[in-house]
Amino acid sequence: MNPLTYEKATSSTDALERHDGDAAKFLGAGTNLVDLMREGIATPTRLIDVTGLAQSIEEQSDGGLRIGAGVSNTAVAEDATVRAQYPALSRAILAGASAQIRNMATVGGNILQRTRCSYFYDVAGSRCNKRSPGEGCDAIGGFNRAHGILGVSDSCIATHPSDMAVALSLYDAVINVESDEGTRSIPINDFYVLPEDTPDIENQLNPGELIVSVDLPAPSANRRATYRKVRDRASYAFALVSVAGSLIIKDGLVVDAGISLGGVAPKPWRAIEAEAAIVGSPPTEETFRNAAQIALADATTQPGNVFKTELAQRVIVAVLQDLAGDAQ
Amino acid sequence: MNKPFFSQQIAFELNTQPARADATPGQRLSELLRENLGARDVKIGCDAGDCGACTVLLDGQPVCACLTAAHQVEGRSVETLAGLYRAEEKAKRLADSFQNHGAAQCGICTPGMMVSAIALLRNNDAPTEDEVKDALGGVLCRCTGYRKIIDAVVGAPAIAHDGDGSVGTSIRRLDGQCKVDGTEAFGDDVAPVGCLEIFVIRSPFARASFTFENLASFADATGVEAVLTADDIAGRNIFGVIPQFMDQPVFAEAETRFRGEAVAAVVATSEFMSTFDPRSFPVTWTEMPATQNIHDAQKDGAVQLHHGRDGNVMCGGFVTCGDAQAGLSAASKTVEGHFKSGFVEHGYIEPEAGFAQIVNGRVEVHACTQAPVMDLDSLQIILGLDRSQIRIVPTAVGGGFGSKLDISVQPYLALAALKTGKPVRICYSRTESMQSSTKRHPSDIRLKIGADAEGRITGFDFYGEFDTGAYASWGPTVANRVPVHASGPYAISNYRAESKGIHTHNPPAGAFRGFGVPQSAIAQESLFDDLARKLGIDPLEFRIINALEDGVPTVCGQVFDQGVGITACLKALRPAWQSETAAAKAFNETSTTIKRGVGIAAGWYGCGNTSLPNPSTIKSGVRPDGRVVLYQGAMDIGQGANTVITQIFATALGVPADSISRIGADTDVTPDAGKTSASRQTYVSGNAARLSGEALRRLILERMNVARDAELTFGDGEIVATDAEGEHRFDLSKLACDDERLVLRAEETYDPPTRPLDENGQGAPYAQFGYAAHLVVVDVDTAMGTVKPTKFVAAHDVGRAINPMMVEGQVHGGIAQGLGMALMEEYVPGRTENLHDYLIPTIGDIPPIETIIIEEPDAHGPYGAKGLGEHVLIPTAPAILNAINAATGVRITRVPATPSLVRTEIRKAQR
Ligand SMILES: Cc1cc2nc3c(=O)[nH]c(=O)nc-3n(C[C@H](O)[C@H](O)[C@H](O)COP(=O)(O)OP(=O)(O)OC[C@H]3O[C@@H](n4cnc5c(N)ncnc54)[C@H](O)[C@@H]3O)c2cc1C
Ligand code: FES
Ligand code: FES
Repeated sequence: MNPLTYEKATSSTDALERHDGDAAKFLGAGTNLVDLMREGIATPTRLIDVTGLAQSIEEQSDGGLRIGAGVSNTAVAEDATVRAQYPALSRAILAGASAQIRNMATVGGNILQRTRCSYFYDVAGSRCNKRSPGEGCDAIGGFNRAHGILGVSDSCIATHPSDMAVALSLYDAVINVESDEGTRSIPINDFYVLPEDTPDIENQLNPGELIVSVDLPAPSANRRATYRKVRDRASYAFALVSVAGSLIIKDGLVVDAGISLGGVAPKPWRAIEAEAAIVGSPPTEETFRNAAQIALADATTQPGNVFKTELAQRVIVAVLQDLAGDAQ
Repeated sequence: MNKPFFSQQIAFELNTQPARADATPGQRLSELLRENLGARDVKIGCDAGDCGACTVLLDGQPVCACLTAAHQVEGRSVETLAGLYRAEEKAKRLADSFQNHGAAQCGICTPGMMVSAIALLRNNDAPTEDEVKDALGGVLCRCTGYRKIIDAVVGAPAIAHDGDGSVGTSIRRLDGQCKVDGTEAFGDDVAPVGCLEIFVIRSPFARASFTFENLASFADATGVEAVLTADDIAGRNIFGVIPQFMDQPVFAEAETRFRGEAVAAVVATSEFMSTFDPRSFPVTWTEMPATQNIHDAQKDGAVQLHHGRDGNVMCGGFVTCGDAQAGLSAASKTVEGHFKSGFVEHGYIEPEAGFAQIVNGRVEVHACTQAPVMDLDSLQIILGLDRSQIRIVPTAVGGGFGSKLDISVQPYLALAALKTGKPVRICYSRTESMQSSTKRHPSDIRLKIGADAEGRITGFDFYGEFDTGAYASWGPTVANRVPVHASGPYAISNYRAESKGIHTHNPPAGAFRGFGVPQSAIAQESLFDDLARKLGIDPLEFRIINALEDGVPTVCGQVFDQGVGITACLKALRPAWQSETAAAKAFNETSTTIKRGVGIAAGWYGCGNTSLPNPSTIKSGVRPDGRVVLYQGAMDIGQGANTVITQIFATALGVPADSISRIGADTDVTPDAGKTSASRQTYVSGNAARLSGEALRRLILERMNVARDAELTFGDGEIVATDAEGEHRFDLSKLACDDERLVLRAEETYDPPTRPLDENGQGAPYAQFGYAAHLVVVDVDTAMGTVKPTKFVAAHDVGRAINPMMVEGQVHGGIAQGLGMALMEEYVPGRTENLHDYLIPTIGDIPPIETIIIEEPDAHGPYGAKGLGEHVLIPTAPAILNAINAATGVRITRVPATPSLVRTEIRKAQR
């Protein structure tokens, strides 16, 4: 066995140099990684602390915003520009976890946090294809009230737990990553991959690739956006269903609509077809109901989570109606 | 983690002082602070970011120390409660405010709460309630219901006031200071540095057979100090709280009966444990088909869990009077229903923990417990030792609510200490605690009730099955209590109630605040509402019509001549009921999606054991220097026994409460004050304390030959009595000291007068009942199915409020637990074994609570007082369900009423 080591990276180049293969892991605030190590799910031998890097939020010349991967979730939620221009992002973050955890958690770590599926965590007693590929999935046919209904597969029905990422998806954020081979930018809506029969692969990041920042495109004028999360208690619980939604209404018609769903899929789920169905229509309940139908048309449910289809539809309608109401 | 590691020294600032420590990679800051640097004011409730008990300030910002890698604090500033309390005026003021509001009950959450609050108060002198909720939203409290914490942080006017603490006055907790300055020592805070540690090997399956490979060679190869299995048990491998039902092994042999059941334990150094991978332990499991619900368990051919318990029926309970069937036939209207509830987890923030050592050849166990003498009884059997060879020294208890009545860590500690001869410690992980501790019984209840046109109940027929899990624990108590209580606090002359406890391969269900009564109350109080509405009678008036009264027999034929306070409780709700119902009606006229409803429910609870002796003994005395000492062995698990029992004793003796030196529970020192359960400590131990105080006073008055109403003062080696004739002095230095350094002493025992129940459940099961009624206003989002309680009014008949502030504290805490049970809590074995999959209410979930204290003096209680700890939660869940019904017309018959369930029911109703 190799000893576990801890080292603090001084720059992104330094971090990449130190990353020497599968056994190394970048360490954000550790709110997910430390937990996964305790459970024996993550077993790195080398921890490379990247919290000191990429600590700034900068306005870009094109009017967008670049958020460093090491910025804390609290700092993003409280940033004046984020609150004014990207309100759904601020709300999504504040709807997640607790103040203590948001103070620690980094943007990079939040995007990469792993599922909260209890079978994934139950190393000794349950089968899980995400944890041990090919083993089987005990969540299917098991206790799956919290599990996914969109984009799921026969091998995995786990959801991505992040609230923040749902809002990033709504705003078409772009994730900037660095590796030995250089830098690349991946739109968040392409970043996560669906489980199909390899649920252990969750995103496009290659081993050793470092997230350095997230870009938010320049805000569109007159776009209203919000975030709503339905959960079992008032705070500090993962979403049963959440929706980040946005509308631009002009002359009584919707000219732009955005819907991204959380708590229902292995990734933040952009409902592209539903969005398209709204554009050009008046912002009425009927329009929104129709869109909600479309958004959930492909839902595959389990006995434990059938309720999510209707709930997701209702949250979509409620969010869009709120936005339409605000616009009037 | 299972890798060796190189430790590296880190330097940072701890409470403004430079600190250095060797940290291993990935080591948690919480562990570094507690173990390497002795900062045990940082508490651990979950090690997963879920509870916030470990909150510290990192560069001034609250963070969870349990999720912070120790290395990441290099060069930064870390502050903990003890340091803040020492250095910061704001922290001291906040500590005072916590004391003045009773904001710390057990105190395990208090460091996390206060540290988070101090960070808020540094930037904001006058925070609003919402700001407090946001700042404290990540810290869970299972005791207080959060409202007193909010009051303490916003700086609301103090509730406790200075005074002599005589019965009826709100003084601060007498044991509260250490809870607010970080010095309170709970189960995991007492072990000496360098102790061996214990890790328990548990079944990953609900039912499994298992074999060990060569354990000796495992021990040799790894260098662990010891491996413990059933073979190491010198006495009997069995425990249980009810002698006739003892059935649980310390270590399972051959087959496990629930997930999390122990089969072995490893005893090793902390260095070994920090890299130990449990998967390397040489055990092979074979999963076997398990029975995980009571229906399957009762089917023909189901695996029988225990010899002699055919059909997996553990036992049952039965009460009948009059003729229930005839009463139902004669009814003008009847209602019936089928109600279900799941397992509920106690969710105390302190996991089971303790340490043990061998002292002069005797084994000493220091652990959190609700029942030290019962722990001793169990260890005596397991260890096969003479009683005199065992000492139980309870630590502070970070919440219990019933589950810490059963032994948990005690046998492992004692066995390991005896086998190694060295000090050993253990602290359960959150998952381990949730897997292995007892739960509230899931229930499956069928009930039919009928009433005549005037609204008088004519017949009542109840049948309830309870999943008691793999072992009996307190299951028989639940089975007995339920039929006695299922009527609710009402006069019902044609009654039949039968209960059964059924074994399954689930965790043992045991004692949890209310012993089955909260479950039966859901069925009964829900149907009362339905029946009232069917009859066209106001639900509150319907209850008043049927309320039990002085001189009217209960369903057990027991008649109380005084102290039946349910009518008073119900009438106290009338003003709020009328105004809130009208307000809800007005609100609903204009609101389409959000619907408001007002619900009420009542409850009662018999204090003490059901028809069984349960004496408490309290000893007191005077030291040669004139100090009065109270040997108080009743466990304070946050509910306030230390304060309340001292107040009672001091009142009886005629001195101020804060002048008493209290000696806490220790089986070598304090007489047996029984277990902290069944709402019995204020009543039973309180009475023993009253008797002891009176006896000591009598003794002194006799020895001094002064008037009965003489005023006594103690100190400086003498007692001064002042009566009409003037001052008399009693020089204590001339008296002989006994072996406990007492010159005067009085030991008294109290046992509640009860009578056994006959085969029809007729008799006198309890010497007293406490009574309660709750009103709740809820807003239901009919589109999402979410239910938001916005206000509670709670009326409780406590006979006499010994300390009104603490009464309120119990009411708030009970309501929070009842709300959790109603709306969010369900323990699914194997699935919700942590505090993010198993949700308990947060600070944001508990609305304002108005407490109305009713005092209908009890004939037996000390100064008329009745027990309170359990009826605080009984009416809450049905009141919420009734409010949902009032808001939406939907009758929820299963708890928890999660958004998914409520929405599904609304949709069904709309079809
Ligand atoms: C009790 C609790 C409740 C929570 N509730 C919510 C909630 O309601 N909603 C929600 O959205 N989230 C919730 N979370 C999750 C929380 O938001 C995440 O744990 C957190 O955002 C992860 O950030 P981190 O910096 O701690 O990541 P870490 O734990 O340090 O890292 C997570 C992963 O990201 C990798 N990583 C980190 N930084 C980088 C980088 N720059 N480049 C490449 N890889 C990187 C790590 O190697 C690791 O695999 C909760 C967490 C807890 C503990
Ligand atoms: S112990 Fe750290 S959050 Fe519970
Ligand atoms: S006082 Fe908060 S958990 Fe006990």
